[in-house]
Amino acid sequence: MMNIHQPVYLEDKLEEVESSGKLAYRSQTLPTWCPGCGYFSIVEGVSKAMTDLGLNQKDTVCVSGIGCASRFPFFMNTFGFHSLHGRALPVATGIKVANDDLTVIVVGGDGDAFAIGGAHIPHAARRNIDITYILFDNGVYGLTKGQTSPTSIVGFKTTTTPYLNVDQPLNPLMMLLSYGASWVAQAYAGEPHHLTEMIEAAVAHRGFSYLHVLSPCVTFDKTSMTYKNLGMTVRPLPGDHDTSDFAAAMAAAQNTDLPQLGVYFAKERPTLADGLNEIAARAEATV
Amino acid sequence: MAKNAKQRTDIQIAICGSAGDGTIAAGDILKQAMAKAGYNVIAFDVYPPEIRGFGKCIARARITSEQVYSLKSESDCLVSLDDSHAIPHVPEVCKYGTVIYEDTPMSEMAEGTHISSHLASAQLPYGVAFREISERVTSSARSRNIVAVGYLAGLYDMPAEIFHQVIGRKFSGKPKELTDSVLSAFDAGFQTGAETFRLHFDRIGASRSKSKQSDLVMMSGNAATVRGCLDAGIDTFFGYPITPATTIMEMLAREMPKRGARLLQTEDEISAIAATLGAGYAGARAATATSGPGLALMSEMMGLGAMAELPAVAFVSQRGGPSTGMPTKTEQSDLNLAVFGVAGDGQRIILAPTNVEGCYKCAGKAFEMAEKYQTPVIVLLDLYLSNRYEAVELPVENPFSENCSKPVKKKPGKTKYSRFKLTSDGISPRAIPGDEDCMHTVTGLEHNEQGRPNDQPEIHQIMSAKRHEKLLTAVKHPGITISKRFGDKGKVDVGILGWGSTFGEILEAMIEARKEGIRCSAMKVVMLSPLPLGPIHAFMDDCGEVLVPELNYEAQFAALVTGATGRPVHRLNRVTGTPMRVREILAEIRRLAGQTEMIAAE
Amino acid sequence: MAKTEHYVIIGNGVAGSEAALHLRQRDQDSRITMVTASKLLSINRYVLPKIFSSSADWRDFLLHPPEFYDQQRISVRRNTWVTHVEPEQKRLILRHRESLSYTKLLIASGGGRYIPESLSEFRDLMLKFGSYEEARSVSNALPKGGHIAMLGGDMIGLDLARSLVHDGYKVTVVGDDYLFWPHHVDQEEKQKFVAVLQGMGIDVRSGIGVTSIEEGARNKPARHIALDNKETIDADVVLSFCGLMPSVAFMAGAGVDIERGVLVNPQLQSTDENIWAAGDVCQIWSPEENQYRFFYGWENVKKMGEIAALNMTGGHESISTFQDEKLIATKTGQIDSPFWQYG
Ligand SMILES: Cc1ncc(C[n+]2csc(CCOP(=O)(O)OP(=O)(O)O)c2C)c(N)n1
Ligand code: SF4
Repeated sequence: MMNIHQPVYLEDKLEEVESSGKLAYRSQTLPTWCPGCGYFSIVEGVSKAMTDLGLNQKDTVCVSGIGCASRFPFFMNTFGFHSLHGRALPVATGIKVANDDLTVIVVGGDGDAFAIGGAHIPHAARRNIDITYILFDNGVYGLTKGQTSPTSIVGFKTTTTPYLNVDQPLNPLMMLLSYGASWVAQAYAGEPHHLTEMIEAAVAHRGFSYLHVLSPCVTFDKTSMTYKNLGMTVRPLPGDHDTSDFAAAMAAAQNTDLPQLGVYFAKERPTLADGLNEIAARAEATV
Repeated sequence: MAKNAKQRTDIQIAICGSAGDGTIAAGDILKQAMAKAGYNVIAFDVYPPEIRGFGKCIARARITSEQVYSLKSESDCLVSLDDSHAIPHVPEVCKYGTVIYEDTPMSEMAEGTHISSHLASAQLPYGVAFREISERVTSSARSRNIVAVGYLAGLYDMPAEIFHQVIGRKFSGKPKELTDSVLSAFDAGFQTGAETFRLHFDRIGASRSKSKQSDLVMMSGNAATVRGCLDAGIDTFFGYPITPATTIMEMLAREMPKRGARLLQTEDEISAIAATLGAGYAGARAATATSGPGLALMSEMMGLGAMAELPAVAFVSQRGGPSTGMPTKTEQSDLNLAVFGVAGDGQRIILAPTNVEGCYKCAGKAFEMAEKYQTPVIVLLDLYLSNRYEAVELPVENPFSENCSKPVKKKPGKTKYSRFKLTSDGISPRAIPGDEDCMHTVTGLEHNEQGRPNDQPEIHQIMSAKRHEKLLTAVKHPGITISKRFGDKGKVDVGILGWGSTFGEILEAMIEARKEGIRCSAMKVVMLSPLPLGPIHAFMDDCGEVLVPELNYEAQFAALVTGATGRPVHRLNRVTGTPMRVREILAEIRRLAGQTEMIAAE
Repeated sequence: MAKTEHYVIIGNGVAGSEAALHLRQRDQDSRITMVTASKLLSINRYVLPKIFSSSADWRDFLLHPPEFYDQQRISVRRNTWVTHVEPEQKRLILRHRESLSYTKLLIASGGGRYIPESLSEFRDLMLKFGSYEEARSVSNALPKGGHIAMLGGDMIGLDLARSLVHDGYKVTVVGDDYLFWPHHVDQEEKQKFVAVLQGMGIDVRSGIGVTSIEEGARNKPARHIALDNKETIDADVVLSFCGLMPSVAFMAGAGVDIERGVLVNPQLQSTDENIWAAGDVCQIWSPEENQYRFFYGWENVKKMGEIAALNMTGGHESISTFQDEKLIATKTGQIDSPFWQYG
């Protein structure tokens, strides 16, 4: 088994990435991910989206927790905050409350988000804080080398479920919708163009945008969320899907066997900053 | 009053009742009025963990002409608004002290349940028809507490006019009829008190010297903390309610938005400190406030703050522990958690003020230090300090610097910015998001000067040293006294080393001991991490015996000092949920003084 | 004793205090509670006249220091009023609506100042001199060398009068029926003793009544008294000394026999077997005289306290007067009375 912690691993890959071209948004640190990991296409997608949106690196902060996915900020040439396992959202909240002008992109894995960090998601969503949350769902714990995750399927065999997982997986899309996220979409690492499109739309959304990215872990999942399986099941949301229809979004999100890609729900509403400004206005009126 | 004008004033009044009796409100009127009348007041309320109902409340206020440092362990006067609660407190009333109580109870009382049967022979009973008077003048028994305040004011010759002003302000915004009715209850009580034949000996005499009066304001430790935050220009606050820190957040919630600053109630303490670090990373002056259980949740983030060198201020008001413990009782038992509660070598600055004025100072300075030394700063308070009131003098000029951050001096386009650059003092120039050409990622992983993850042996060694050495420079931070010696100079028989709220009692005990001819002095230590070892060693060199009184069972500060200095100290520990008694410290000083004499004689 | 007794004593005067002391001596295990309306522990009222000549505070008038009660385990419930007694339930009901049960009760509530009907309309213009607080108010109202008018002139008042005169105050006694109370002196003797009083420096107007008392005019002493012989007196303080009235109001309805005071047998037991009485409050059956009578005077009262305690703890002793009840003129031109032999 490959040791993903070894920085030696990046040096090996340096040449390969340098030759790939557009690096303005990329740091000189090479992704430490396993070759073939779905996460590569996400870092690609974010760099491309930032180029397209014309974001300034100095005004962008990438925030993450801990995990393979959470290594993301090191690979970007923006400001970055690699925080603690599960705590990316509250850190991002602090950054955004302190400075409205920053573009804040939060990334993390499914364990980071829905296990240890589960308490924070409802609150970031309901407050409609103006950040983008890109969730890299590989259905397994990558960094700690292959344990079960809250999105692992029943019957999944991992190092901590040698007799197969018996826990029902969560449905992240339904959770986020019901928490009040004002923008919810799904993409697939195996479809990089659509993924980039979704990232652009997510960052452009004013408010809390949640992008769920299905992303195979080639090292620790050989049976479930593989490129092969996902390639056969994912499909776009129907052309007539109404992104303002909450019930339709919930209905579509229930289809976990055949995951649908695209924007499930989008609705503008006041952001946390709007609310805080309103409070300030009311308070100032009293003096 | 004129004939008493020269007499010193030192009266401690305790008002005790149940939560529904308006006990705390009565105490509040008393302390506000007496502070306004120009007296020094130290006040401390004890209230029950339950919100409503019949839990016990006690409001204590010590009113003096001279500067004093703590409440007395004995009160001169106890006012009972509920005998079942007040009876256990009768023994705290001093010899020839007064017990004022309801003489017209609402219903029949079983034998032994009326407070009058519990007075010691040397205590003076003043039975008053609180309920009847309240009903007569306001046609309701609800103003019994106000009648009681009026009675007290009358009995002790306090200035009625000032009480009127305080009541008027307290009820401003309420219907006029209500205010009038409350004032009439006060007046009726006052008249009864004034007409009462006085058997007690303590009097309200002189107030404090006139020259000092104008600049003094009456505030609680938490209120002073809030003032410190505001004067230091706090930008963001994230918190999760927990007694006894909640009022910090509540007061900030009122004040911060008026200044365009932002406050958010987070989903838990982990988020509170995470957001505080996030905001600090983004360049804000950011703080949170909690108590022991919250600090326990924060400890992983505190480590991140240390590793990623991020500014954050956490006010931690201790209460009885462990676990949920005694939420409305005071204790100093979170010192170990504050100092050591972190994964790895995650030292941070810890300040522990000893009085209300210190809360203001430490609060403001904590922001400067967090910013300058790029570290979390814990300001360790406790319930007794958070909730006690003192008349304090705040500086006219804002004493806090606006920006203490070490700036990035970069020639454009030249060298690449290194966030964790090694410097002589260990402090690296800090850039924040938005700064041109300074992009970097902070991390809880060990990292090199550029902030890249790196676990090479020499890197961890060098970076650990950097993070600790920069903190050592904080002991010389300008404008704050981080340790101070009081009492006898030079060699002394007994030295008392103290921290936090208990230092008031320590000072009082030290002053008493000196009156008895014992050579002794006391040293307060405000910065608990890193410890000011120079002054501590110098102090210990001068002391025959060193005593460390603190409100915890495990002698946490004593162990800290012994661990850091390798020198033994005597411990004095109490965990009664109440402040340390002056006489207990005094007894220990006497004992130790005797001991040194004996050794000298041998 | 099978169960611990709870002795409750109503009153903390000489009789009550003496009884408490003896009860404790005879029964170490019992509970002893004294109940008094006063806010203070027992005061030695015989030394109260000293209040004019010294700056002493109430602590100097205490019969016993506070520690004494702690040592003797005597609880003194001060500032407490008994509203009635329920002998069936063996308990007292206190004014503040608490009950207090006893196994044996001693009534030693003493006597209040008696104000005859002719003076009662001037009640508010007169001061009292029974308790420490009252004595202090009198001394506060009386300027140095001031003038005090005493109506009645009983032996308690005359005791105060001789002390005031000694201290340089002016004292006028206006008296008739109550002059020299409780001594029974005939008209002839009265003249003799009045002359002695005059000789002591006390201005005595005997056989004269009061027509009115008013507030004094501006720049005059505080009280203006008109007598029925057309004379007037300007005094700073007016006191009435017309003997004592037993304080027994709370006994009404208790089913215990009362005449003026609580009626007791020579062993001081009332008509209720668990209730005794001692001191100025009780009327004792005198087999010799075949009537109930009062025994006044410090020594008598003290002895009553002791005997009551004795009998409450199983003794059987009877009282007879221990004092000669004669008023005498001394060789030094003073008068003296057995009632003045105290302390
Ligand atoms: C408090 C804490 N507990 C546990 C860990 C160990 N840990 C690091 S990453 C991780 C799980 C990562 O899984 P996921 O979030 O799904 O991310 P992935 O690695 O799959 O991208 C765990 C358990 C930690 N760093 N901190
Ligand atoms: S998620 Fe799986 S494939 Fe991707 S880097 Fe981690 S271990 Fe490798």
